[in-house]
Amino acid sequence: MRVTDEDLVEAFQGGDTAAFDLLVQRWDRKIQGAIYRFVGATEDARDLCQEAFLKAYRGLGTFKKDARFSSWLYQIALNVCRDRLRRRRGRTLLSLDALDEGGHEAAVLPGPSPLELAEGRDIAQRVARAVAALPEDQREVIVLKEYQGLTFAEIADVLDVPLSTVKTRLYRGLVQLRERLEHEGIRSASVVPAPLP
Amino acid sequence: MDCDAYRDQMLDLLYGEATDADRRAVEEHHAACPSCREEMAAFRRLRGDLSAWKAPVPARARARMRVWPGLAAAAAVLLALGVAVGVGGAELRRDARGWSLRLGRGTPDLQARLDEQDARHRAEIAQLRTSLGREPASTDRDALLAAVREIVQQSERRQDARLQDAVAQLSDRYETQRRYDLAQVSAGLSYLEGKAGLHAARTNELVGQVLLASQEK
Repeated sequence: MRVTDEDLVEAFQGGDTAAFDLLVQRWDRKIQGAIYRFVGATEDARDLCQEAFLKAYRGLGTFKKDARFSSWLYQIALNVCRDRLRRRRGRTLLSLDALDEGGHEAAVLPGPSPLELAEGRDIAQRVARAVAALPEDQREVIVLKEYQGLTFAEIADVLDVPLSTVKTRLYRGLVQLRERLEHEGIRSASVVPAPLP
Repeated sequence: MDCDAYRDQMLDLLYGEATDADRRAVEEHHAACPSCREEMAAFRRLRGDLSAWKAPVPARARARMRVWPGLAAAAAVLLALGVAVGVGGAELRRDARGWSLRLGRGTPDLQARLDEQDARHRAEIAQLRTSLGREPASTDRDALLAAVREIVQQSERRQDARLQDAVAQLSDRYETQRRYDLAQVSAGLSYLEGKAGLHAARTNELVGQVLLASQEK
């Protein structure tokens, strides 16, 4: 039987520091992937991932047993990303091109060169820029749902917002992404099949 | 037709979280609403595009090492405590999963095992100091703690140096960005001045022509 995250937390709180190492092994890749999509840069993602796990290590001793460890860890990851993006905005290092149509500041990405943009062949790069251009609240939901595979209820728990708010943000994010990518001429023939019930 | 009422259920269906009742409700609505039907189809295509963006594989081992600043120092302290309470029956173990400490007083029958563990722990402390680049010190507790403090201070000095480097790089990037922005603004202003000058010249030419024409009348 697989040891749950909560079992490992309990072991850690009981003095077994090796239990935290197992938690890091389980969640390192997922958390770093989420952070990369929130902030857009590999180097930043690595540093922020470390920062998130350090915070988790320091706070795990007082973690409440009725809470879900994964939601708590994602909350920590989101907060370090929000802090980083806030610091970036304060340093005014964004070019005007990074603003989306709503005037919101987007995450800065090490994007393609003007030549690559003109050629327009890299769908992944365009998707990355489209996601980065979303307002922060929509981007968070898109990343958690589309790339981290959390359920709507789990996302509501992580973000501490109602379920209806999660779905509203997701819908608006999907609409914006669709418009932006269609505007750039990306019409994929690939379809994600409907999930089995 | 209130399409908004079906939006949440549509999202549930799109992401595989719909109940049977939700699925039937959405399918009935889509049968009567081509717009919503097309929107859901478009979202399915969009999800295919979104899946093209892959996150880089993290450097797991390096990240794990760096998550634990001063781990060696912490382990040395833990070992020192283990030795100190060893005679009381505590067991400090290190295996593939890391360090674990079990407290408790053993029975007299286990004294030999505890003594063996005590000797093994002392040997591991000496080995740990060697791997940290230090000569095995005496087992005096104060000397050991002083060594641990020195390791932690060295780590802090290295982190300060890295922080200073990062700040210097940040300052350079900021300056570069500032110059770039100033150059763009200057280029923009020059362009505008050029356009304004051309417009003024044409206006003067037209005025001149009008005046000439009126004088000839």
